[in-house]
Amino acid sequence: MVNRDIVYQVALLFIIGAVVYLIAATTQENLARLGVDSGIDFLWKRAGFEISQKLIPYNANSTIAHAFVVALLNTLLLAAVSIICASILGVIIGIARLSDNWLVSRLATAYIEIFRNIPSLLQIFFWYFVVLRTLPRSNESIELFNCIFLNNRGLFVPAVSFGQGWAWIMGALFFAWAMIYSLRKKERQRELVHSPALPESGRSNPLASWNLLILAGMAGAVILVAGAHWQVPQETRFGYRGGIVMMPEFLSLVVGLSMYNATYIGEIVRSGITSIPRGQSESAASLGLPRHLTNRLILFPQALRVIIPPLTTVYLNLFKSTSLAAAIAYPEVVSVFVGTVNNLVGQPVFIMAITMAVYVFVSLCLSLFLNWYNRKIALTGA
Amino acid sequence: MRVNLHFCLDWARSNLFSSPLNILLTLACMCLIIMIGIPLVNWLIIEAYWSGTTPADCPDKTAACWPFIWARFDQFMYGLYPETERWRINLGLSLIILSGLPLFVPRFPGKRWLIPVLIVAYPLIGTGLFLGGNYGLTYVETGRWGGFFLTVVTALFVLSTSLPIAVLLALGRRSSIPLVRVSCATWIELWRSVPALVVLFIAIIMFPLFMPEELKIDKLLRALGALTILMSCYMAEAIRGALQSIPKGQYEAAEALGLGYWQRTFLVILPQAIPVALPQITSNFIGLFKETTVLLIIGLFDLLGMVQNAASDPTWLSPGVSATGYLFVALFFWLFCFSLSRYSAWLERKSSLYKLQ
Repeated sequence: MVNRDIVYQVALLFIIGAVVYLIAATTQENLARLGVDSGIDFLWKRAGFEISQKLIPYNANSTIAHAFVVALLNTLLLAAVSIICASILGVIIGIARLSDNWLVSRLATAYIEIFRNIPSLLQIFFWYFVVLRTLPRSNESIELFNCIFLNNRGLFVPAVSFGQGWAWIMGALFFAWAMIYSLRKKERQRELVHSPALPESGRSNPLASWNLLILAGMAGAVILVAGAHWQVPQETRFGYRGGIVMMPEFLSLVVGLSMYNATYIGEIVRSGITSIPRGQSESAASLGLPRHLTNRLILFPQALRVIIPPLTTVYLNLFKSTSLAAAIAYPEVVSVFVGTVNNLVGQPVFIMAITMAVYVFVSLCLSLFLNWYNRKIALTGA
Repeated sequence: MRVNLHFCLDWARSNLFSSPLNILLTLACMCLIIMIGIPLVNWLIIEAYWSGTTPADCPDKTAACWPFIWARFDQFMYGLYPETERWRINLGLSLIILSGLPLFVPRFPGKRWLIPVLIVAYPLIGTGLFLGGNYGLTYVETGRWGGFFLTVVTALFVLSTSLPIAVLLALGRRSSIPLVRVSCATWIELWRSVPALVVLFIAIIMFPLFMPEELKIDKLLRALGALTILMSCYMAEAIRGALQSIPKGQYEAAEALGLGYWQRTFLVILPQAIPVALPQITSNFIGLFKETTVLLIIGLFDLLGMVQNAASDPTWLSPGVSATGYLFVALFFWLFCFSLSRYSAWLERKSSLYKLQ
């Protein structure tokens, strides 16, 4: 039996090797015939194209590798913002579906059934071509509180400008976070020593208010020292300047992807909540725990255990569907690399390999992180 | 009548106005419905243009323009398929759907023999009828395929090719031979972590480089191959989950009867695992159906691509026209996906009842 297994494995290895060799040989031959010099030297060439949204300084004279980093950051930004929006909307929808108010639960159900069964690309197109295209022009913008402006060039919101001091702020926030973390750890240990039978007792953490105070104090002090100020978008002859600008492409992708994926998150949240036996909330009530503490200490941690694994899948899917941005020319990895750069240098093998590597790597990181978190909150012992 | 009114009031009080918060929520929801629903109905139905088939029938550029749909309906359905040959699509798709229908009927006699027959019949319909070139039928190149026809052909083709591959991959991932297990797992996880669009680009841009110069493979076929690779990996995970749910006793009993690996798998394990995997396979199929819209990015005009193409025609170009077009496509996809998801839910209920017995 074992001998036969070895024969199978050798045969499989041989087949895989042969296929890879054949493909590699043919590709090399084809590339040589087309006159494409292989290698990743093209990464250090001058890019020569502009990118409409950049989080780090970039211009047409930068290298292609630099353009790649800009595109990657755009992908990550889109994914992060969409994941946050989808999660917030999804939790609201999931809870609304369980509401004892008939109208609220029916409305949430209708939302899920409508938006889940329409392709996300179609929803993105709808927001981009129908809603955002028909917004007024720059000089007739929709205004909110005289500092948020919406027109067909995008959404303009005020930004906090830190001048040179932003590094200080980041440092201070990190320091505050480290302090809170160590304080909490100490408190946990103290609790364990004093009441080993009840490591997570129902009373609220006395340090919680201290944490907030430390965080706010640190941030406030640094802002005072570094001199931060609001930067409100100003109307100029060429449209609005200053503040944070969100391109229509970005907006429609965020709205489309969040609304589509929120339907899945809503269903996951609902099933997570309904999976908790009624006895849990009843016994919490009989112990005299108030409603909000029951939710926070009894129901929420248990629901989270059911919610996290399927949520991982939704987040991964959302991350992958940021590639749909290529359809409306939002400059993320696929549209910049597979589109623009490939047309420029004609190196499909390396370009596709790098693009695939980006998705495989980020997907792997995301799932490793969520698996780690899942293990952390999973029931231990017992 | 009075009893009825009383009942209604009672129901409203307990379901809509049971607490101050609920009253507030009910009012907010009513506001939302009025604010969104009334303008939508107004725009889509009451103020919309319904009659005619020319751009002149929609003088107001922002109102919903149904004449656009009427004028281009055939294109949305058949793509650029020659008008005189469209009967072939109607005939072929009706044959496919009618012959596949018994598969969805529980306990249809002879279901076991239907599947091999269909496996032979479907490619024959596809190449013989849709592509043509033989028996006096003119050849229609795949570049002219499009619209809803392309969406359906893609979904059905990918479903039927990816299922057998998925079964093999799932079995491979649970194999006792380490190398088989590792290579199947790597293959599945690799493709599952890459977006469909990237896989399609690989098929379009990179695949020609892998093949000898003389060998040219049709663009549509390459795209279908890419989607098959992707879909088989997703389906494989669904089937693997089902395989895991089969009790160990089943494997052991089959082995005790002296059945070999393939007999054990195909006669004992898979007949039990496939029904368990069916709801998940259906929801994967819904995902595939929605994913076909991505084809338009690589220049194949599915239903959405066709509508977008038609809406950018300068004679029609207006916000009202494109909005109507998108809503029409949305309605189409919604009808299909919603009914499929109902079917999937029904399967799930059925299989959970089966498990309880």
